[in-house]
Amino acid sequence: MSGGFNEIHEAPTTFWSKYIVSYDHKVIAKQFLWYAIFFLGVGGMMALMIRWTLAYPGQPFPIIGKLLLPSTGGVIPPDTYAMLFTLHGTIMIFYAITPLLIGAFGNYCIPLMIGARDMAFPLLNMLSFWFAALSGLILLASLFLPLGGAAGGWTSYPTLSTLIGSPGDGQTLWCLAIFVLGISSTMGAVNYITTVITLRAPGMGYFDMPLTVWGLWLTAILNAIFVPVLGAGVMLLLMDRMFGTTFFLAGASATAGSGDPVLFQHVFWIFGHPEVYILILPAWGIVSDLLSFFSRKPAFGAKATAMSMTAVTILSTLVYGHHMFTTQMSPLLTQSFMTLTMTISIPSAIFFANWLGTIWKGSIRFDSPMLFSLGVVFVFGLGGLTGLHLGTVTTDLYLHDTYFVVGHFHYTMAASVLLGGYAGIYFWFPKMFGRMMNEMMAKIHFWGTMIPLNGIFFGMLMVGYGGMHRRIYNPFVYDSLKRLIPINEMITISAILMGLFQIVFVVNFLYSLWKGKKAPSNPWNVGTLEWTIPSPPVHHNYDEIPVVKCGPHELGNPNLKNGRDFQYQTEELVKG
Amino acid sequence: MRRAELQGNLAMTVTLVSGAMLFITLFMGYAVYRTNAPFWPPLNIDKVPLTWPWISSMIIALSSWTCYQARSLAQKGEWKSAQLFSLFTIFCGLSFVGTQTLLWRDLKMSGIMVDSGVFASILYGFTWIHALHMVLGLGGLVFLHLTLLKVDSKNLYKVMNVERFWHFLGIVWAFMFAGLFLF
Repeated sequence: MSGGFNEIHEAPTTFWSKYIVSYDHKVIAKQFLWYAIFFLGVGGMMALMIRWTLAYPGQPFPIIGKLLLPSTGGVIPPDTYAMLFTLHGTIMIFYAITPLLIGAFGNYCIPLMIGARDMAFPLLNMLSFWFAALSGLILLASLFLPLGGAAGGWTSYPTLSTLIGSPGDGQTLWCLAIFVLGISSTMGAVNYITTVITLRAPGMGYFDMPLTVWGLWLTAILNAIFVPVLGAGVMLLLMDRMFGTTFFLAGASATAGSGDPVLFQHVFWIFGHPEVYILILPAWGIVSDLLSFFSRKPAFGAKATAMSMTAVTILSTLVYGHHMFTTQMSPLLTQSFMTLTMTISIPSAIFFANWLGTIWKGSIRFDSPMLFSLGVVFVFGLGGLTGLHLGTVTTDLYLHDTYFVVGHFHYTMAASVLLGGYAGIYFWFPKMFGRMMNEMMAKIHFWGTMIPLNGIFFGMLMVGYGGMHRRIYNPFVYDSLKRLIPINEMITISAILMGLFQIVFVVNFLYSLWKGKKAPSNPWNVGTLEWTIPSPPVHHNYDEIPVVKCGPHELGNPNLKNGRDFQYQTEELVKG
Repeated sequence: MRRAELQGNLAMTVTLVSGAMLFITLFMGYAVYRTNAPFWPPLNIDKVPLTWPWISSMIIALSSWTCYQARSLAQKGEWKSAQLFSLFTIFCGLSFVGTQTLLWRDLKMSGIMVDSGVFASILYGFTWIHALHMVLGLGGLVFLHLTLLKVDSKNLYKVMNVERFWHFLGIVWAFMFAGLFLF
């Protein structure tokens, strides 16, 4: 291919063009990173408030409680509690994890790892960030409305989310924010898909791409197909709320002719189940690469891993019904969805086994990115296994809407993705900012996250199995749940501990930005393309577009004679 | 194929897939409502005015043809004629949006208000969403015209991609007209 958009552009010179409306994928990645860290803080604080209420109902939230809720003396009332768990879910999924994994790593890694100078459409890329920023502003603004933000759950099921269940404007702004964010995600998806297909360096076949890029690319495909499905749903919900249509109103709430509230659930989960994989595929890709890099071995069955991730991507589009087993679905359908759900276990097990095969007999280096990657292997294993209980109709009927579900999806969507995100931050920080993060603090952060994290989410599995409903405001008032109070307290203490250990990360991140040790161009001794250029890279990434001659995981080759145990992708594969 | 051209074509294909998913979701919802309803249209709705939907359909079909003409004339190097056809396409697009507003007026005059139940919700809601996309499409048509004014065959792929988007909106309208108004 000739011509086109891979030429060197002049570096911007003004503050405005360099940092605010930058077209540079690296700057946009950092914008998304800061955005994600900010919302992780907001969503995390909401999580602590939720947990405080469940362990110590009626007691003022410590330190900032009276400031945030002066009218109740710092006590979190039931309506605020509903708003908190709604916005905690919304923020963590759409405004923290998505921008971190897809916005930050997608933007940073894709062009660098495929040997491109930028994304295919830099202007679209910049717009994608600013649409996301607008969406975040709309959502935050909803918190300051007289009746507060949305309180119908992150799934916003009607009738909870219609004017009957949520009379204020908070839910309306929620719909608007999600729609605007959908536009941003679709713009990103168009860009990522096109970039990977058209801007790979000469010699780089699809299976020569790092698995990180595979994960991000598959995510972009799912985004392009399924985000518009949610877009359609929230648009109709918005019309119900603003213009008086009755798409999702039924019974007494629909004054003339009935809509169908359950239809929204179908639409939501047609999007929602792929969304789980939208979040986790980039983490899988990152972990698949990092396990190989830090085991100093080629990724075991890398092609099979890529194909398994593709198979999961395809199957993820066919299983949404398992979220709706209790909606009086026909038994024929429930069994079909259950079978399809179980089928996902096969490709998942293949790449999980490949992860174990990769680290098996490796010369493992327990640097912080590796610790977090191993953490992902552990928590994703638990998350995947608990998913079997919920994908099976018989057990789901008992466990549906309990804290077991909350524990399960936090293990998969929160723990795996968060740890994968941290692995990525510790790994690419030197490339992004040209400085190393403090390794000791990183390890403290890892253990301070990993141990309480399991306390929280395993505790949730336990109280859920014990019968605790997921949206209870005060478990103390139910006799049957009183025996679970000590576990609830343990979960809350774990959450506080985990929250405190995130301060170690923030301090390390900020300190290392300015005072961290200068990073060499390749501190981890790995061979993917981004490590062939200085840290941080120049504005146009590559002076010469690299030519790829081998795969991304050429480590531990016994034929290497140059004192290195890895090869760059730009080097001919050394054979015996 | 040049890289820029390939990128433009790919991006438009992905955009059309995304757009198609949005409208497929709406049609899927429509199928659910319609198959679950005991009567369709509901008994309280007498007659849906069809004049403006018919006129809209003819206009959008004509605009698809003029858009096609604009692109194929540009490909032949007949830039002046291509520019004329693209201007006519913009005119047709504006007329379509105009006829849609007249359709909404007629619906209202026939007593079919937006809050008259799910049947009315679908008529209004779906045509609003389509009209919103038409406004975006009109922006694309203006871009197409400006591109044609540059008289540069390297930009033909841009013209072709706007044309694809415009045809896509025409196809969506054809499904809407048939599904919502005719049958």
